[in-house]
Amino acid sequence: MKILIVEDEHQLMKSMVSYLKSENFVCEEAPDYTTARQKIELFTYDCILLDVSLPDGNGLLLLNILKENKKSDGVIVISAKNSISDRIQGLNLGADDYLIKPFHLSELNARILAVIRRRHFQGQHILVLNELTIDMTARVVTVQANTVDLTRKEYDLLIYLACNKNRVISKNAIAEHLSGDDAEIFDNYDFIYSHMKNLKKKLQQAGCGEYIRSIYGMGYKFDI
Amino acid sequence: MRLNNKTIRSYLFYSFLIYLLTIPLLYFVMRSVLLHAVDKSLLSQMKEIRSNLGEIHSQEELTAWSRLDKDISLSPANAPIGDRIYSTTRYSPRHREEEPYREIAGAITVGGKMYRLVICSSLIENEDLLGSILLVQSVVLFLLICGMLWINQRISRRLWRPFYVALRNMQQFELNKQAEHPFLSSTTDEFNELNKAIMNLFSRNSGIFLQQKEFTENAAHEMQTPLAIYQSKLELLMQTAPLSEEQADLINVLGDTNRRLIKLNKSLLLLTKIENNQYQDIYDVEIGALCKKLIQQYRIHMQSKNIIIYEHISETIVVRANNALIEILIGNLLSNAIRYNIDNGMVILRTEKDALIIENTGTPVPLPSDRIFNRFYKQTGKAGSEDSTGLGLAIVKNICTLYHYTISYAFIEGRHTFHLDFHDGTVRQGAGS
Repeated sequence: MKILIVEDEHQLMKSMVSYLKSENFVCEEAPDYTTARQKIELFTYDCILLDVSLPDGNGLLLLNILKENKKSDGVIVISAKNSISDRIQGLNLGADDYLIKPFHLSELNARILAVIRRRHFQGQHILVLNELTIDMTARVVTVQANTVDLTRKEYDLLIYLACNKNRVISKNAIAEHLSGDDAEIFDNYDFIYSHMKNLKKKLQQAGCGEYIRSIYGMGYKFDI
Repeated sequence: MRLNNKTIRSYLFYSFLIYLLTIPLLYFVMRSVLLHAVDKSLLSQMKEIRSNLGEIHSQEELTAWSRLDKDISLSPANAPIGDRIYSTTRYSPRHREEEPYREIAGAITVGGKMYRLVICSSLIENEDLLGSILLVQSVVLFLLICGMLWINQRISRRLWRPFYVALRNMQQFELNKQAEHPFLSSTTDEFNELNKAIMNLFSRNSGIFLQQKEFTENAAHEMQTPLAIYQSKLELLMQTAPLSEEQADLINVLGDTNRRLIKLNKSLLLLTKIENNQYQDIYDVEIGALCKKLIQQYRIHMQSKNIIIYEHISETIVVRANNALIEILIGNLLSNAIRYNIDNGMVILRTEKDALIIENTGTPVPLPSDRIFNRFYKQTGKAGSEDSTGLGLAIVKNICTLYHYTISYAFIEGRHTFHLDFHDGTVRQGAGS
């Protein structure tokens, strides 16, 4: 899977590359508009991470160039601006998703996978992790032949963990992923614990191995 | 009292005083002038009679003359008397009442015999004349005073108009808005100077405000990138192995601190955006439905503290506002009611006419109602406040200011009570759409 990262902030770029590389992504870097434009015109990517404010131009203009070249690369716009109009503008120009700085790398990874999934498998995708099978289209989780009945939050949690398998995901990232903007209002993580407890219990009852591990109260890891 | 009325009040008092004094004064002066004229004519009549007495030769002629003229009377006199003029009243058979008269009494000698002659003159016409003159005079004076007051009122109204326009502009001045009414230029130098001074003040204030706004916005935006870098590096640090528990604890604290910074930064950005009036999209927002949605969203947090919520949404309140801002407004109030609540506490959410009231149990001490809406106000050492930005209620206050709502706090029956009054911001059912 090939990913183009358009980001002018060197350290942020390095972080993204470092996190995504271990996910078997091939990352290409474009620190400015001109480089990004050349790369977009020459190659095709599975996903492009696009920073809006670049030193030599507006990243959103690259979306137009993609359109003109009839390219269907997946695009996630990354912006420091959290305004609804910017978000709508980005999505209207053909972006698949919109992420606001600062973001969690685990969240970015999950979004990239979702975009690729939508593009490559026409939405049809089955994730197999040993005895655990997740049908992303039907949103059905099965362990061997047993269907695991999960609530929506538990399912979201499992997908998030599975997408970032073998990584430590901080509880902040999980809280924000599960509750969206509410996470900013409350600092209470009790709800994560209860969701996590229920998810682990249900998977275990269905005969699934103990893959979800708590890492010193710092976060969780789906070890496989 | 308006300035105009204040100056006129003195004039009015003075005019009225003069008006009252003039009427009796005029009466007495006129009366004495008229009386003087009558006296002169009586004296000249007496003089004329005396000089014409030579033409009367007999007693009969004298009686006949005196009988002919009703205004004279003769009576025999023993001793000579001097001329005397006096006022008296006589019964008039014609008008059947006492009438005022002026008389002159003097002695005359006819045929060696002495008589007392009295010539009288009725004052009734004089009194009538005096009456009419006084009436006309009073009306004229009255009209004069009224006219002067009216003209004065009109002139000052026109004269002071630039002042009142300037005053209204100052009253309606809002930092992020243009003045609605242009200042009136005037022929009065003072007013022109006043206008100029006010306009200078306005533009200076707006300039400072704009600079400050820009700074906050830029600062908040610029902060996003380092925060993002920090967060991403922390996440990468988490992936390093081996990781000791001690390191994990440190990373955990750093993560929470960064989250707090991000929250603070977002709140500051939100505040400046509200002040910049960047939330322009206006919709009809139904408060009851929004409350229900938020309660549903926060249910999980209430459950974890075992808080019971009582909703009494009896009124349908619809406001015309930006939906995101109203959601933030009520969301902040409701989440505060949950955050600062005690375990097994309660939250009461109810509506009144055009108002939403949120009550919650909590620490049984009233909050300083004058300070809680200030930026960075925090309760130190209270449950739920460790991670507070101190901006939640400041945002609430700002949204209220933007839409002219009123938010107030009271500690009633051991409950922290926030009263949100939408006033005229509501849309009447049937009136809208």
